[in-house]
Amino acid sequence: MSECINRRDFLKMGGAAVVGGAAVTAGCASAGPAAVSAGFKAALPRAKGPRLVIVGGGTSGLTIAKHAKKEYPKFDIVLVEKRDMYSSCFSSNLWYAGLINLEFLADHSFLDAARNNHYIYFNATATGLDRAGRKLITSEGEIDYDFLVVAPGISYDYNRIGVKDEDTIDALRTGYPGGFISPTEHVTIRRKVQEFEGGLFLQYVPNGNYRCLPGPYERACMIASHIKKNKLKGKVLVLDANPEITIKKDGFHAAFKELYNGIVEYKPGSAITGVDLAKKTVKTEFDSYRFEDASIYPGVRASTLIEHLGLMDAKSPQKEALISQLKYNYIGDERVYVTGDSRPHPYSKSANTANTEGRYVAKVLAARAQGKDITWYSPRTVCYSMVNANPPEAISVDAGYVLNKEGTAVGGFSPDTKLFEKRDAAKGRGTLEWARGMYRAMFEG
Amino acid sequence: MHRRRFVTLCGGSVAMLAAGLRGVRAEPFVDFPKVRLVDAAGAPLKAAALATNDAYVFHYPLRSFPCFLINLRKPAGEPREMTSEALAYTWPGAVGTQKNIVSYSAVCTHELSYPSKEGSEIRYAAEASPLSGKPGMIVCCAHDSIFDPAAGAPRLHGEARDPLLPVRLEYDPAEDAIYATGLAGTWLLDRFLKSYRRQLIAEYGAGVYKEPVGATSAAVLLNTYSGGAVSTC
Repeated sequence: MSECINRRDFLKMGGAAVVGGAAVTAGCASAGPAAVSAGFKAALPRAKGPRLVIVGGGTSGLTIAKHAKKEYPKFDIVLVEKRDMYSSCFSSNLWYAGLINLEFLADHSFLDAARNNHYIYFNATATGLDRAGRKLITSEGEIDYDFLVVAPGISYDYNRIGVKDEDTIDALRTGYPGGFISPTEHVTIRRKVQEFEGGLFLQYVPNGNYRCLPGPYERACMIASHIKKNKLKGKVLVLDANPEITIKKDGFHAAFKELYNGIVEYKPGSAITGVDLAKKTVKTEFDSYRFEDASIYPGVRASTLIEHLGLMDAKSPQKEALISQLKYNYIGDERVYVTGDSRPHPYSKSANTANTEGRYVAKVLAARAQGKDITWYSPRTVCYSMVNANPPEAISVDAGYVLNKEGTAVGGFSPDTKLFEKRDAAKGRGTLEWARGMYRAMFEG
Repeated sequence: MHRRRFVTLCGGSVAMLAAGLRGVRAEPFVDFPKVRLVDAAGAPLKAAALATNDAYVFHYPLRSFPCFLINLRKPAGEPREMTSEALAYTWPGAVGTQKNIVSYSAVCTHELSYPSKEGSEIRYAAEASPLSGKPGMIVCCAHDSIFDPAAGAPRLHGEARDPLLPVRLEYDPAEDAIYATGLAGTWLLDRFLKSYRRQLIAEYGAGVYKEPVGATSAAVLLNTYSGGAVSTC
């Protein structure tokens, strides 16, 4: 079964980002970077061609590193990544229900990716940017660049749930992580699920264009599967800041009703406005809920690195980058690009989007390095969501995008966008093979 | 073909890719030893008896490299020039008395999904599928790619940039027999061996997975081969 997503759905999905980022000319540059010198050069081989430096070894950065080299072999590419061990955020929900193991997520080496695709993996943290001097500052020294791509992903924004003090933010990060950024969050959430003995497990869904729109609902299904399988006297409370499930709503509603009746309780329009961690309670406008355990996904903004490097659009509600929607360069600087989930586009912030977008941006970079131009084409959001673990069954969406009438910004879903909301085992298997394909796309040559 | 020559050929292609060569390169079909297709019991496969509702899986030119044999419900298109990001070649068209038997690699040219005995994301959908909306397409549900096997398997939808790699067939009308004789280039074969090396060693044994398939290759319906765990998109 399939149906089209309409423009209204599109606006709901990315509304905040559309408002803030659609018209790049309305944007406004933020303050400049904090650090402009590391005082020493990074220990790297001499560049043998135009040096393309990429910050971030997630889906976007890894894809661009691979494909920029294929598109323009003269590029000398350095991937700057702060982690020394990869583990994917995508597919991590499946671990909580025992459908995969940690090896599935983490048996992928930055070293192999670099060797297979002929670039340098540089284990360092980006700390500053000197655009005038074309230098990236890192914890391991300065790197001169001819082209720079910044793909650092997202940061959490706890302001969205009424939490502003650092003590509470730290307590939430540590005790009830959102689980949509780092592998250590995934380990904690898995432990929580395995140690859950009953009561109420709270899963919060933020508003805005948050990373992985179906992710919180999928996680609720995986935790509910665990509760059901182990006959625990507990349930998952899905508090949703949005008025309705944000994507694949029919498929998720069917799962909640048909698979988890009495185990999943879904409450739309329930934005958290404050927390009392001493009482393990969250407050909404009209109610408060006491939980036994929780994963509180507070909402997202572009990575704080975008702001620190001076690449943020100060008018963006999610503090996303001030870039061209069609070519991804920072406005006024065709040497610096921002991609992946720090982009202002109203795309789904998903791995498949970042991967297909990355292939396009690699072509943009190759073209510009040769004084050429290319025509925009859409990324693709192919996204599976597992809704049952016993047996594995999933639903999916296959979405593309089109430009607005003026051809200046992304204006909606493409006509060939389809939803597949009738769960089945074939899509359950497809969920796993989709992920394996993503790993191959990033790490193999 | 001598085995050493065979392995060298594959290795050479890997080296070309590793050197970062980019752009379309014209490449003729690569000859591999002629292999007769047989059924699961080893009896010669008869073209007239081929089913039309599913693809057959056989292995060629190596023991581990899966290919589709498809009996289309209508004659295929004429031979045509195919150009992709990887290479250019002439698709030789179909064989058989009705010109409706075609063969392609069963490895998706996007991110290499292929049929295993545990299941398959890539399949021939004789009837219209939810994704393609029209009959007679090869669909890969891992990332929603669609290919048209009646026209040389160009990509119609999805992120694949290359057509499915055709296998050259030869038809013997006297015996109604089908033979495989070559592949349109080896880049996909090389990539497959490299990508799945760990799994192939575990499944076939070290070195065994890259041995030539032999004088015959068994063609089995995909739904049988993959234990019924075949995609439905």
